[in-house]
Amino acid sequence: MRPPAGLWELYWGFLSIGARSFGGVLPWAHRVMVEERRWLAPGDFAEVLALCQFLPGPNVGNVSVVLGRRWFGLPGAVVAFLGLMALPLAWVFGLALLYADFSSHPEVRAVVTGVGIAGGGLFVGTAWKLAKPLMRRPWALALAVACFGALALGRVSLFQVLPVALLLGWLLARRNLA
Amino acid sequence: MLQIALYFALLSLVSMGGMPSVMPEMQRIVVDVQGWMSAAEFTQLFAIAQAAPGPNVLVTALIGWKVAGLAGGMVALGAFCGPAAALAYSIGGFWDRMRDAPWRKTFQRALVPVTVGFVVSGGYVLATPVGPEWRSVLIAGAAAALLVLSRLNPLWILSGGGVLGYLLF
Repeated sequence: MRPPAGLWELYWGFLSIGARSFGGVLPWAHRVMVEERRWLAPGDFAEVLALCQFLPGPNVGNVSVVLGRRWFGLPGAVVAFLGLMALPLAWVFGLALLYADFSSHPEVRAVVTGVGIAGGGLFVGTAWKLAKPLMRRPWALALAVACFGALALGRVSLFQVLPVALLLGWLLARRNLA
Repeated sequence: MLQIALYFALLSLVSMGGMPSVMPEMQRIVVDVQGWMSAAEFTQLFAIAQAAPGPNVLVTALIGWKVAGLAGGMVALGAFCGPAAALAYSIGGFWDRMRDAPWRKTFQRALVPVTVGFVVSGGYVLATPVGPEWRSVLIAGAAAALLVLSRLNPLWILSGGGVLGYLLF
């Protein structure tokens, strides 16, 4: 294991993560940093990721900032983040322009709508995986359902739901119910 | 544009676990409150972001682009990523030192049910662009089941959604 030799290597590493990360960034972040370039040990990667999943913002975006900082300070954080985002950003604008040209075709709209709905389904599947530890904790499950009711069905603002939900979650966790 | 920037910056700081947890709020503001686009258009923009590589926060760039052009897109993405990145930058060392603090474990446990509720809500608002009717339920349900039960690359699941969308809509 050896950290990147310089900012240039850092940039290329994150650029190649961004370029290949179709269908999810995380697996590619692991492959490039742990397996290919061997910047990090697997356990180290898992620890950085645990922090970054908890922090707000895109997980792997946070990973790039935290690791870039660890290795090269502020310039490292900026370079790693820009490397990660550069190619996907170009891609997404290219696709959007293409779509703007073709969106008058009902077939194209139907395909894109189907992809979006499936993407929503992926969120539900992800939530299902996250919810596994809650199955034995009915109060925690009830809190998750209540959040869903308020946000998705009731259309209440997140900024009203979040403080109440966090407080309830905290009380449940303190009593070992969450 | 300033309005988008401020709002996205605020959302940035509460986006625990990334984009999914703030998706319902973003859709509520963009579609219900501001009326910048329809629910169907919102889901389509999200689909485009999913079809590109990279983190799905890119959808914020597309929302900004739709509302205020290319500059709007860059501003929206910067506003959504900036505050969270600054927080990650400053908190990295502190959080590691707190590894064994009991409040940290309690807080992490408290976050789980809240995050689950938020992520499910994000999926629901994206999957029901024309209301909860059978076609949406079928596509989203199949996608969720495949993600949980198989080890298929999500890109294949999204492609399948595109095919079903073509056949059903």
